[in-house]
Formats: sequence, structure tokens, C-alpha cells
Amino acid sequence: MVEWLLAQATPAIPDPPAAGIGAIVALVLFIVVSVWLGTVAQRVVERSQFIQGYFQGNRGLGAWTIALTATVQSGGTFMGFPSLVYTYGWGVALWICSYMVVPMTGFGLIAKRVAQISRRTGAVTMPDLFRARFGSPTAGLISSLLIIVFMSIMMIAQFKAGALVMKIAWPGSGTLALSEDGPTATPVPVEQASAASSETPPRNWQSWLAREKIYLIGLAVFSLTVVGYTLIGGFLAAVWTDLLQSVMMFLGVMLLFVLAMMAFGGFERASRQAIANVEQAALDQGKTPEQARQAASAFVSGNGQKPNGMPWLPVTMAFSFFCFWPFAGTASPAGVVRVMACKDTSVLRKSIFLLAIYNMGIYLPLIAICIAARAMMPDLGSKSDEVIPRMALTLTQSLPLGSWLSGLILAAPFGAIMATVSSYLLVIASGLVRDVYQRFVNPQVTDHEIRRLTYFVMAGIGIVAVGLNIDPVQHLQTLVVFSSGCAASAFLIPTVMMCYWRGATAAGTIAAMLAGASSAFGLNMIGLLIAYRTQTSFAAYALLGFDPIVWGLAMSLVTGIVVSLCTRPPEAALVSKLFDREEKAV
Amino acid sequence: MTQKHEDPVLVSSRREAIIVFLIWVVACTYVLGFCYVFGYNRDPKTLTFVLGIPDWVFYGIVIPWTISTLLSFWVANFLIADDDLGEAQEETALIPTASKQEGTHG
Repeated sequence: MVEWLLAQATPAIPDPPAAGIGAIVALVLFIVVSVWLGTVAQRVVERSQFIQGYFQGNRGLGAWTIALTATVQSGGTFMGFPSLVYTYGWGVALWICSYMVVPMTGFGLIAKRVAQISRRTGAVTMPDLFRARFGSPTAGLISSLLIIVFMSIMMIAQFKAGALVMKIAWPGSGTLALSEDGPTATPVPVEQASAASSETPPRNWQSWLAREKIYLIGLAVFSLTVVGYTLIGGFLAAVWTDLLQSVMMFLGVMLLFVLAMMAFGGFERASRQAIANVEQAALDQGKTPEQARQAASAFVSGNGQKPNGMPWLPVTMAFSFFCFWPFAGTASPAGVVRVMACKDTSVLRKSIFLLAIYNMGIYLPLIAICIAARAMMPDLGSKSDEVIPRMALTLTQSLPLGSWLSGLILAAPFGAIMATVSSYLLVIASGLVRDVYQRFVNPQVTDHEIRRLTYFVMAGIGIVAVGLNIDPVQHLQTLVVFSSGCAASAFLIPTVMMCYWRGATAAGTIAAMLAGASSAFGLNMIGLLIAYRTQTSFAAYALLGFDPIVWGLAMSLVTGIVVSLCTRPPEAALVSKLFDREEKAV
Repeated sequence: MTQKHEDPVLVSSRREAIIVFLIWVVACTYVLGFCYVFGYNRDPKTLTFVLGIPDWVFYGIVIPWTISTLLSFWVANFLIADDDLGEAQEETALIPTASKQEGTHG
């Protein structure tokens, strides 16, 4: 079988088998199930007070829902990863491997304490926590503004990705993944920022409409579905669809892994073939044998190699990502809300082990699959984004029901994007409705009014997102990189301070948030300026080789401590309520 | 007569957080150290495979990942204590109303 498969893979990037009807059926299935989950969730919300039920699911989440949804960053992170393995080789294993500690950091650093404080104070959102802990409406307002800005940017970009997946699954569309010629907006990890597309949109609107018809239909269907079920079912709908797609993704990866290993008769053959292919591809491109050996060496090395010959992952960057995945996930606003909604501490404990199994079972096999892909399809070149769909179609085409299986695998990214949009949408809506409107505009608002306002705000956000994606903003990708770096740097230190440090002050927390966000933002801006001056593609400026998140976290920590020490501590009674327990003296 | 104790949930979470952070430090040091020494600028000719995986990936990533997963089991079942999180309060119970002074900015 392997000879046949290798023969299929000529350097000319062969057309993969057609996606067939299976893909579109799987997408429709995803949509139907998600909407159904939305209506089930709505029935739960109906039975409770609106805010608690709609934004927090009445604090009733179990281990599966917490484990598989609370620390996963976004569908986009997951989707960019296979292409990286295919392109840069084994070094990507080092880039991603801090996921080995994510279950422990995600649920062991602050989760229990956050869950406790949120219960004691009745907090429903992350800004609620800051506000209540420090008795400071300002801390609440600033955190909610930061959250609203960053998450809106990240969410709006996802709409485009969702529409594109729809377009790909359309029978006969010819493309398989969110690739170069569409306006691409997968929120990729920081490192991949250079992928931002640079072409200009067409100006003749009739030909544009004809060309983009399927994209526009995809955008409409995607937006209606995701805004629809989130609006109906709120938090629980978002969490349940997230769980659904996580499980689908796991099954898909397992299936692909088994098929890929069967096709090659073991992993070592695949590895060796992949290395040989890299060397051969370099020779075919007219490189010298010496350069070709170097390319092969880079593929099996931790550092990898960029097209310009520079290392892809210098050790300082490897360190940066060992900080990024564990800590960015721990304090992401969408994740913290889910931790706040856990049923009890045993749920948090079980989540750690469940997620550990999940991460190990999904990331290590994915690396193997994508290395095997390099062996099977030697030179996808610019189409490396399509590595997983192409593997799925190629490996399943000889199986009975192959089209359906590959359909499910192709639909998984769609589910991932829906889940991300849905959870961000809720965080943004709760920020606007609760943290801004209820707190500052009209504290006396009734349950009924809040509900109407929430629906209105969500529909409004949906309309804005669709509007901005009809003719997508250029360099949206760049903005996404900005936002994810800033958001990750902004909240970790303040949250840890809030949980464990009696002496932390409101001013210190606010300063830590702003320092983290602004130093990450500043380094991104410098990167943009350099890209502009040298006419190269954008990448965040890595001061001394470290990613902005490392500097953001460091600045946030120093600023938070210094400012807290210099300002008046919060009222003793307020702190004591959250740090002490009164007991009868013996 | 009542006496104030540090909240037991605070005590246990802080202890767990410190241990988890130390696990991160150890994992980070070992993985980056090992991979830097054995995995950077590798010559494919000297590369050996363990279970089909390049040697430095196997010892530098797969093994620590497996250990981390086992540690997660230990953390989940033995390190982290079950605590009573308390009843969820009404949302405004502890939150100062708008009329109250912030008093924390100095």
C-alpha cells in the first residue's frame, strides 16, 4: 500500500480525492446538533434566574465539560498546528509540548480559589471577581474593557474562518482548507503571524459577488447558526457544543493515526521517508547537496529552519512557548468563567486527569500523522494548511463509508470555530450587559430587561461581525496576533495576585493588567514598524529572542508588586472576608 | 468568642499552586535542557529512533509527557484536597454599592 500511496504523491501537488457529499452532510449534522443543544440549554436556563443560568449554567458543570473546554485556546490554534509540523518537522513537538503540564497548571494554580471567591462574592464574570475582591468598580471596569476589546477582535476574525470552512466543504469548491487565496483569518499562534495575506480585494462588485457567492452563503449560515444557538441557550449551549467538537476531534485524530500507521507499517519508516523527502525536495528546488542536508537536519532538529535560513524555534522561543500554552490558558477570560461554573472541587480534580489523557492522546498522534503526511505527500508547499483534510481524504478513500469518515474529520474545524465564537460571544455580551450596563448605567435593571438586552446585544455583535467580514478587513490576522498576545499577558498575574496575596491593591492589579497588555502591544507595534520599514511580513518583535508574552508577564508581575506595595491596601474587612474563616475558639 | 483562621481553601490551594508551579519549573528545565543539548542542529545520520520516534523527541518530550500524565493522576487524586467551596451567594452580597468609596487608590 505504501508504494502506491507514495506513487500518488508527485511533487506537482496532486489534486486530492474530492471532498464528496460526506463533508457537507457532516457540517449540516454539526449545525443541527448544535442548535438542538441550544434548545436543550434554553430549557435549563428557563428554570433559573437569568444571569446565573444564562452566563454561568448555575454553577453546575461536570468534569468532562470543564476538562475538555476550559483550557482549549481556540479552534485556530489547533488548526494551524498540523501545517507547522508538516513544514518545520520535529521541532514543532518542542513548540507544543508544554501542553504536557497544561492540565495541572490550568486546574491546579488558581482554579479552586477562583471557584471559591466567585461563590463567596456571587461573581458571574471575571471583572466581577476583580471588582468584588478589591471593592473597586474601576478594577472591574478596566478589566471588562480590556476583555471586550481583545476578545471582540479575536472573535470577529473567527467568523471569516467559519465561512471559509463552509466554502471548502461545498462540493466541487476545489480547496480543502483555510488557505492562501481566500482571505485567511485563522487565529494562528504568534509565531505564524507572517501568514497574513496581502492581496487586494477586487473592486468590481458584480464579479466579486459571483466569485464570493459561496463564501457569503457560508458566512450567513455560519453566523446564523452560531449566534442563534448561543443566543438561545447561553453558556450551557456554548459549553456543550464545545464538548461535542472536542470529542469529535479526538475520535478523528485517533482514526487518522491508526490509518496512517497502518499505511506505513510503522512509524520509523514514515519518519525516515519524511526526512528523505525533505532532502529530495530541497535538491529539486536547485539547492546544493550541502543545503539539502541542512534542510533535512533542520527537519529533525528542535530548532527547525525558516525559509530565510534562520532557526524557526531558537531556544528562547522554545522557552516562550513553554510559558505561553500553560499560562495563557490558565487565565483566559473564557476559561476562568468555566472554572467559576464548576460544580465542586472533585470536578476540578477529575478534570486534570481527563485533560491530561486528552492532550496526550491528541497532540502526540497529530505530530505523528503530520510527519507521515510529509512522507506520503512530499511537497504540499503553500498548501500545507490542507495537510489534515488531504490525509483524511487519501487515507479513507479505500474504506467503506470513507467519504462519511473524512466528512466528520473535515467538519471538526468547523465545530472548533463555532465553539470558540460561541464562548467569546458570551464573554463579550456578559461584559457589555453585566459589567458595563448593569454596573454603571442601570444597577436597578430587572431580570426581564437584562434578558432582552442580552439578546439584543448578541444579535448586534453578530450583525457587526458579519458586516466586517463581508469584505474582510485587510491584515485582520495581524490584529488577532496583537490581541491574543496582549490578552494572555494581561490577566494571569492580576488573577494570581487576587487569589493569593492579601496585600494586593486595586491600583496594583489595574497597573499589572495595563502593564502586561501594553508591553505586549508595544513589542507587537515595534514588530509592525520593522515589517513596514523592511517590507517583510509581520512578526512580533522578539526582544532578546523572547516572545512578547514573556515580557508582558514579567512587566505585569513587577508592576503589580511595586504598585501594590506603594498604594494603600484594601480594607481589612474586605480582605478578611475572602482570606479568613471565623471559627469558635476552643 | 471567635477566632480568625486562614481560610482552609486558601491554605490548600496555595500549597497545591506552589507544587504545580514547581512541576512546571522542573518540566521546563528538563525538556528545554535535554532538547537543546540533544535536539538542536541534529545530523540525520547520527539520529536513532526509539519506537519510530527520533531519540531526542522520545527522551526529551514523549517520556516527560508520559510522566506528566502520570503526575496529573497523582495531582488529581492525591495532591489536591477536596474542599467545600461554600454556597453560591446572591450576586450583590459582598459587592460594594456605587455609593461606597473605593478607598484603595493611593
